[in-house]
Amino acid sequence: MKPPFYMRYIILMVVCAILGVGIVFQMVRINYSSSAQELIDKSANYQGFEETIYPPRGTIYDRNGHVLATNQIAYEVGIDLKFVSDPESIAFSAASLLELDYADVFSQASTLQNGEDEYRYFVLASYVDEETVNELQALKESYSERRQEQGTSTPSLSGLVWTGMEQRSYPEGKLASNVLGFYNYFSRETAQGVYGIEETYNRLLTGQPESIFMPNDPYQVEALPDIDNGASLVLTIDRDIQAMIEKELADAIEWSGAEGGTIIVYDPENGDILGMASTPTFDPNEYWTYKETFPNPTPYNRAIGDAYEPGSVFKVITMAAALDAGVVEPSTTYEDTYGVYWVENTWPIYNWDGGAWGEQDMVGCMQHSLNVCLAHIAVDLLGEEEFYKYIQAFGFGRSTGIDLAGEANYPLRLPDNNQWVVVDLATNSFGQGIAVTPIQMVMAVGAIANDGQMMVPHLVRSVVDNGQQYDVASQVMGNPISAETAQTLTSMLTTTMEEEASQALVAGYSLAGKTGTAEIPTELGYTSTETNTSFVGWGPSDDPQFVVYVWLEKPSISKWGSEVAAPIFSDVVEKLVVLMKIPPDSVRVKSSAE
Amino acid sequence: MKKRLLQAHKQSPWRVQLQWIGLFLLAVLLVATITGLYLSVNGQAAAAGRSVQWLESDIEDTTNEISDLMTKLAKAQSSEKMAAQAEELGFHLLDPENAVYIVVPGFDPDSPVVLAPPRANTVINTPLIQDSYTSSLWDWFVTNIWRGSDTASGGGN
Repeated sequence: MKPPFYMRYIILMVVCAILGVGIVFQMVRINYSSSAQELIDKSANYQGFEETIYPPRGTIYDRNGHVLATNQIAYEVGIDLKFVSDPESIAFSAASLLELDYADVFSQASTLQNGEDEYRYFVLASYVDEETVNELQALKESYSERRQEQGTSTPSLSGLVWTGMEQRSYPEGKLASNVLGFYNYFSRETAQGVYGIEETYNRLLTGQPESIFMPNDPYQVEALPDIDNGASLVLTIDRDIQAMIEKELADAIEWSGAEGGTIIVYDPENGDILGMASTPTFDPNEYWTYKETFPNPTPYNRAIGDAYEPGSVFKVITMAAALDAGVVEPSTTYEDTYGVYWVENTWPIYNWDGGAWGEQDMVGCMQHSLNVCLAHIAVDLLGEEEFYKYIQAFGFGRSTGIDLAGEANYPLRLPDNNQWVVVDLATNSFGQGIAVTPIQMVMAVGAIANDGQMMVPHLVRSVVDNGQQYDVASQVMGNPISAETAQTLTSMLTTTMEEEASQALVAGYSLAGKTGTAEIPTELGYTSTETNTSFVGWGPSDDPQFVVYVWLEKPSISKWGSEVAAPIFSDVVEKLVVLMKIPPDSVRVKSSAE
Repeated sequence: MKKRLLQAHKQSPWRVQLQWIGLFLLAVLLVATITGLYLSVNGQAAAAGRSVQWLESDIEDTTNEISDLMTKLAKAQSSEKMAAQAEELGFHLLDPENAVYIVVPGFDPDSPVVLAPPRANTVINTPLIQDSYTSSLWDWFVTNIWRGSDTASGGGN
């Protein structure tokens, strides 16, 4: 006997079976339908997104750990249309605080309300400072309180959002800007270091950006891969020395009426650049203005990028070559009878004052800066082969290899060049007809200050990477002269400074040095009224710890290096010995003896 | 005539039905338990994943904040500010003629700044994430139970 309601059970069973089969059938149909692939492809858009992670750019320190370049927070302010409820308030706040156009912002903020694409994000402003963002936040909160009090839905800044981002910052402003360069951070994808250290060490400072997939499904989230941060750099620059020479240079240009200049402080023992000042300068925090400050063809850093005829400072090199070659000794004499030296009886060379100085020894030739004497040494005693051999040994005619972008080099005109004439040998001996950069002069003179050993100038002292500090080893460029020659020449130039009662002297310190006054070549020949004035010196003479090079371009107050560049050298050294903690000679010698 | 063998005694039909129902419910319970465990673990993993996302974001924010504070500190200690403060306090750059020098044995005025330990040849071999965080229940079973029992039984040979 069948149970009661048997048919109802059967019908129910059949209906459930049909439903079940129908569900399974529909699932199979959907999975294999023509729209299935379209749905799968669309779903891929919501699975996540590719993001490039940029590691923080490395910090740049001076030799004592003071920060010269680092990063700070800035904000990108935008509109997330999904949450906009009051476009007018957003437009008003953007116009007043971000200085944007009210109509443009209102139009963008109203996009959703106009029925257009709802999933859009507009960037209103990039690199907004924290202070402005704090004002926006305060405004947002005050609107929120007002809405609560009044029970209304406006005003509201809902939809106005901001995201933190990294911005390069130079806390010292203009200080060392010619050395540091700058980082053009506006476009993150194409940003890179420009000029100076930022460009030379761009890859090291940047680190290794990495693209990774960021899933929206939290179950698929994994920890981000370890990405190497940008390395940090410790420079050889001393911030206090840099500030001092920049101030001295600015003051010097003001009182001398010079068009520009450079001052370099260099450690001859290891090639460290302790300070490098150049004009013009600018604030790398506003790097987009650099073209206004450096119109073409103004070099970014004159110390390495500007080649010029050095004038009489170059006599130091000629004399070094002559002493080392053994063609002269300090007591060797030269008879300056007429104040003129004839090159192959064709080209006359005159002294700076057009006068004759009679019999002079080599110390006298340097002291009185006699062009005729040095021309005689180069042409008659050294000869072209020896002279240019030494010039090249001192590094002229090629780059120094300093780790700064933008180094210039003017090739030497050598005897094998068909434009070379023998008068070039004579004029080169006193620094005319040859173009050098200040850093080339400093490196070469550094050899004389360092017992004949010439060190490659460099600006990076250490690299800090992955939590470890690597010191950069000093490099020897060469030994153009012997230690004995270097010491002899240093002694000679110390004597010349003392006997000349030079304006470059600093009380209590024995210094060696040479002034330079160079005529400037033009299309019509050399100028006689405008000059490049310079002074190169080192000390203390018995144990040189610094080389200082001063160059001023076309000073109007006086055309002579002895009157313009020499006093600046003295002012710089007077402060430098305090900053470098170098006692006067009397104290230093006494403490060494003890 | 075929003989039909009948059991003298058999379980009553309702008992058989109960047994089938019981077995079915046991299976359902087992599936439900495993499903529940799976959902629980996945839920925790998803929550952990979400925490990881938030923490990564926090790390980035903190890193940015550290950089920002370093910048503020550097600006507050800039050469210009320090010089101005020194001047306000009545300090001026020392005149070398008026300086008093004291010889301190072993003092190096140019000691290099140390921002990090020097380079060392150390290699860390320990993996940061242990296997127990990434292996599945089956992997654990195979490694520790299945292969572990094999090792235990064959270990004496």
